[in-house]
Amino acid sequence: MTLLNDPIQIDKDKIFNRIGYDGDSVPSSRTASLVEDYIDNYYDLIAPSYSHTVKTIKSVNQNRVDVGDSVILESYKVARLMERCEKVAFFALTIGGYLEELATHLADKGLVLQATVLDAIGSGTAEKLAARIEQNIREEAGRDSMVVSRRFSPGYCDWNVSQQEMVFRALGNNVPGITLNESMLMVPQKSVSGIIGIGRPGNDIEQYNPCITCLEKDCPGRRR
Amino acid sequence: MSEEILEKLKENVIQGRKTGDDMGVDESLSGTPGVLELTESALSEDISPESIITKALTPGMEIVGEKYSKKEYFIPDMLASAEAVGAAMDVLKPLLEKSNVETKGKFAIATVKGDIHDIGKNIVAILLKGAAYEVIDIGIDVPEDKIVDVVRQEKPGYLGLSAMLTTTMTEMKTIIETLKENNLRDKVKVFIGGAAVSEEYARQIGADAFCADGFEAIKTLDNFQAT
Repeated sequence: MTLLNDPIQIDKDKIFNRIGYDGDSVPSSRTASLVEDYIDNYYDLIAPSYSHTVKTIKSVNQNRVDVGDSVILESYKVARLMERCEKVAFFALTIGGYLEELATHLADKGLVLQATVLDAIGSGTAEKLAARIEQNIREEAGRDSMVVSRRFSPGYCDWNVSQQEMVFRALGNNVPGITLNESMLMVPQKSVSGIIGIGRPGNDIEQYNPCITCLEKDCPGRRR
Repeated sequence: MSEEILEKLKENVIQGRKTGDDMGVDESLSGTPGVLELTESALSEDISPESIITKALTPGMEIVGEKYSKKEYFIPDMLASAEAVGAAMDVLKPLLEKSNVETKGKFAIATVKGDIHDIGKNIVAILLKGAAYEVIDIGIDVPEDKIVDVVRQEKPGYLGLSAMLTTTMTEMKTIIETLKENNLRDKVKVFIGGAAVSEEYARQIGADAFCADGFEAIKTLDNFQAT
C-alpha cells in the first residue's frame, strides 16, 4: 500500500529541533553528521502498519460522544467538536518496534546521544506517517463532499489517555503491530492513535481548536 | 606531566571526545587521544582516580554545564561529554572501590510502573554519571516492590522517579508509601521528574524534590551534598 510504502521524507531541521536546537542555533559537525547518517539509514529500522475506520456518531451531550458498539468518548472538548460532525474516523499507526529496540540497546551501552537522535527520528517518522494518514482520511471525506477536523489523540487536553481503549475498541481491537499496556500506552512507543471529526462544510470543523481559548498558555501540547 | 594530562583530559571532556576517533565539538582536538585513552595514561602515570575525577572530569563537566546555560552548547554536546565522563567512571569505579574512595553518591533511577518512556530517564542517568554520581538504572515500567528491593539492597542515597503521564504519576505516591511501610523512607531522598509532574505534586506526595531536567537534578543533588 502506497500509504505505508512510499518513502517518508524526514526534515533534518525538525530532528535538530527535537534534540534541543532552536531556530538560529547551529549543530556541531559531529551532531549534524550523526543525524544525517541516521536519516540516511533509518528506513531499514521501520516497519509501518496502520488501521483506520469511520463510524457514524450516534449522540453527543455535554462531555460524552456515543459512537455505538460501546464506543464512548468522554471529553468536553472532543464533544464540542463532534457536535458539529456526522462521522468520526478512528486511526492507529506504528513504525514498528525495531527502531526503539535499537535506541534502548544503544542507551544500555551508554550511547545516550545516539539513542536520543534515533528516538527523535522515530518520533518524527511516526508524526509524518500520521500526517499522511490524516491526509488520506481528508481525501476520502472530500470525495463525499465532507470536511475533516484536526487530529485529536487520547492524552490531549481533557481527553484522558485511558480513552485509548475506546479508539482500539472502535478499530475492533485489531491494530496490526500495536498492543496496549495496562496504562493504555501503545507498545511500540513510536505509534500514534486518535480521531478525526468528519462533517459538512460550514460548521467550523476544520478550524476547531480548543487551544485558542485555553488559559494553559505553557501547555506543551498547545496548537496554533 | 600529571598536570598536563589532567588538563588535556579536562579539554577532552569539554569537547565530549570519549575516544581519539571522536570529532569533538569543533574538531580542534582531532587525531589526539580522547577521555578514555587519557584516563588510562593518567592511571599509568600513577595519578590517583580521585585526582582524575576532581581535577579533570568534574571541572570539565562544570564548564560543559556553563556552556549549556549560555546556549553555547546544546543537549547533544552535553550528552557527548557526559558519555565520555561516564565511560571514564566505568574505568575508575573498581579502583575507587579498591581504595575505599567514595563516589559523590549512589543514585537509583526508574520509570514507574505502567510507564514505558525511557529517553528522559536515560538522559538524566548519563548526566548524573557524568557528574560523578554512581547510577543504578532500574529500568522502565518498574513495580514498587522492585524499587523498594533496590533501595534496601543497594542503599542508594537518592532515588529518581520518572513519569510522563497523569495516569502513571500516581505510582510515585505508592512508591513513597511503600518505602515508608518498609522503614526506608528516611534512608533515601526521593526526586521526581517527567512531563506529568511538578514541584507542587512533589510536595503533595512527600517527595524531596522535583527536577525539571537533568541539570536541575545535578544542582539539586549537589545542594543536598553540601548540606
